[in-house]
Amino acid sequence: MTNLWYLFAAYAFVWTAIFAYVHSIAQRQRSLAQDIKALQEALETIQERE
Amino acid sequence: MANQEGNSRIPFLVVCTALSVIVSLYLIFVYAPTERTMGDVQRIFYFHMPSAWASFLAFFVAFAAGIAYLVRWEPHWDTLELASVEIGLLFSMIALVTGSIWARPIWNTWWTWEPRLTTTLVMWLYYFASLMLRRLVDNPERQARFGAVLSIVGFVNVPVVFLAIRLWRTIHPVLLSSDKGLAMEPAMLLALGVSLVTFTLLYACLLMIRVRVEHLRHEVDRLRELGPRSLSNR
Repeated sequence: MTNLWYLFAAYAFVWTAIFAYVHSIAQRQRSLAQDIKALQEALETIQERE
Repeated sequence: MANQEGNSRIPFLVVCTALSVIVSLYLIFVYAPTERTMGDVQRIFYFHMPSAWASFLAFFVAFAAGIAYLVRWEPHWDTLELASVEIGLLFSMIALVTGSIWARPIWNTWWTWEPRLTTTLVMWLYYFASLMLRRLVDNPERQARFGAVLSIVGFVNVPVVFLAIRLWRTIHPVLLSSDKGLAMEPAMLLALGVSLVTFTLLYACLLMIRVRVEHLRHEVDRLRELGPRSLSNR
């Protein structure tokens, strides 16, 4: 009994789940970077007005 | 300062984890002998069991961070608790799914309501619900307190999951027993040991990255609260 397909499916799932999670963290980080950029721009606008 | 030191350790930890993954893959797929009755499908065990271990570790860290938060009321304990629960959910999901895939050819079913599987599913559902419930609370301080209590209470189930195969009759194999020790060949034990180290490193890696993102979020929230009006008053 080899059942290599099951081994492949389990192995593929492990790495798909881990990479999907890492991708979600990267997306959150990207979104936060955009927020920081927007806040910096708002700050610069205020400083220019002063 | 401590946060910056933590950030500088991330690349080193990622390299160590990547090397450990490569060694694990060699040991799992080349070095470890094929199990006589189950065949190659038994190799699922080398990432099924370590992912369950990583989830127990993650929930323990969340439990400890929850206690630390309630004692010291410092926000970084809440960040650690939240990040660890999230990663614990990922690893327990991997343990559940890989276990189910392994069960299909061996037990001839994808799922059975035996004690280990049932308690693991209950544990997963509890922590998933706790993350959802946290989001319902608006006040960040109350949210942190709520999360800490949920993580402390939820950890009660973790020893039950571990002991389920010893407390009740089950078809789940007992790998570690008090009389026989670890019932495995030395080559299999080595592959398992290295895989456990790999998943522990993977957990540490994900935790540090997730904590860093959460710190960033806190910083953005703080700046937003400060608001343009406050900034203009400077």
